[in-house]
Amino acid sequence: MTAVRTWLLARVTRVGAGTIAAVVAARDLWLVLVGTIAGIWRQYGRRGAPRPTDDLVEQLHVIGNRSLLFVAVTLGFIGMVMIYQACLQFSRSIGDLSQVGPQFVRLIVSDFGPTLTAMMLATRVGAGIAAEIGSMKVTEQVDALRLSGVLPVDYLLVPRFLASLVMTIVLSVIGSAIMYGAGAVTAYLSFGVNPRLFVDLGFVEPRHVILGLLKAAAYGAAIPVVAGSCGLRARGSSEGVGWATTAAVVGSSFAVIAIDFALSVGALWLLGGDL
Amino acid sequence: MVELRGVSVRFDATTVLAGVDLSVPRGARLGIIGPAAAGKSVLVKLVAGLVAPAAGRVLIDGVDVTGLSEERLAPVRARIGMLFQNYALYDFLTVEGNVGFPLVRRGEAAEVVAARVADRLRAVGLAGSEGKLPSQLSGGMKKRVGIARATIAAPELVLYDEPTAGLDPVTTSKMYDLLRADHDRSGATAIAVSSDVAALCGFVDRVVFVYQGRAHYQGPAAGLADADDPVVRQFVRGALDGPLVG
Repeated sequence: MTAVRTWLLARVTRVGAGTIAAVVAARDLWLVLVGTIAGIWRQYGRRGAPRPTDDLVEQLHVIGNRSLLFVAVTLGFIGMVMIYQACLQFSRSIGDLSQVGPQFVRLIVSDFGPTLTAMMLATRVGAGIAAEIGSMKVTEQVDALRLSGVLPVDYLLVPRFLASLVMTIVLSVIGSAIMYGAGAVTAYLSFGVNPRLFVDLGFVEPRHVILGLLKAAAYGAAIPVVAGSCGLRARGSSEGVGWATTAAVVGSSFAVIAIDFALSVGALWLLGGDL
Repeated sequence: MVELRGVSVRFDATTVLAGVDLSVPRGARLGIIGPAAAGKSVLVKLVAGLVAPAAGRVLIDGVDVTGLSEERLAPVRARIGMLFQNYALYDFLTVEGNVGFPLVRRGEAAEVVAARVADRLRAVGLAGSEGKLPSQLSGGMKKRVGIARATIAAPELVLYDEPTAGLDPVTTSKMYDLLRADHDRSGATAIAVSSDVAALCGFVDRVVFVYQGRAHYQGPAAGLADADDPVVRQFVRGALDGPLVG
């Protein structure tokens, strides 16, 4: 009886500790989000406030330019595989491949392009932000910033947030184009689909473009907030940085999927199921 | 200048400091000693407002700074310089950028910053290292850059967390000579944490022995090895037998 009680107590304690940790993490995430928005206002909303443009330009380069090849290659390959599979299924079921391109581009614009780009950025950019801020935290550099009267969120997260917001949109557009182009080449080389037939934007409507851009913006905002929050929660030494990096990749990827789901459901509801 | 009243600090379930009372008058030099993980670094971070107490009050010049927001702490911190245990030099900035950082953030003119940086680097014996990155410096050089950064804005209170940890005896002596000369000139209040008790006692006038979360002993730095308290005596002498636990 005592053994069962001990076992039960240990389980309840574990669940309780997990719940408290989750609540604390959610609170920290919320505080980082609010702090970042307030930081943008402090730096860019007030007349005469110091604007660290150099930091922003550097982050635009780090997040955007340095991710370009990675995003281009991965989305190109995914586009090839997806179109190959789609052509294969279409040819087996209805035998008409004329609709593959027009339907595919609609999906790319409203979902696959921004979501897959963001998934790639969640791994590359999310891990980078968490590792950088996490190592600054465990080596007391964040404390040194605070002592110099600098808010760590303003100095470290605001430029990364703005750069990620802009560059996720830019990379989503480029990634989508590459995905579609790679798909067109695959369809032509593997199934002989005429590129003129494939490249047909007739099914793409403004609402698809708006939804895609909205998703890209939301992903671009979520990735640095999640990663920055993980970095600022790093403790101890290199082990803490490792934890922060892993948590950032998992958290950012999960955030992308959750936002995709929420925005897609929201759009479906708003448009009465006609997406 | 600095007063701690019944201050306690807890991290999760661990109590690091439990009801510490401490008073440091303006211009004084206080040394903090104690066994590893006794809460010495936490104590100086508490003074800088980098750690929030679970109980008690921290007063700087009679003003209660406990629980102040980061924005409201900024003017208090502007009067404080700190050398961190792990140097805390910004990896992405050069020596010049690191040392001048506190002044740059205060909006000082570039020429003023450059002149002050050159002056401070000369004082710590690092003239000519302006363009180096922290990764290109030795441990001793990093400490000196840290000291230059901590003192560049002429703070009224300077906190030193292990200023000589990992340094050889000669460099340690040089470091304390540097700190002594600096404080003789500026008259700033100093609080220094160090495991090198003998070297520390040559710099500070009073010592606090932190033990089991409390300010176990406070007294003059001179004659510490012969203190009345047996725990302090054992710690300072490095004796294996005695009442010291942990």
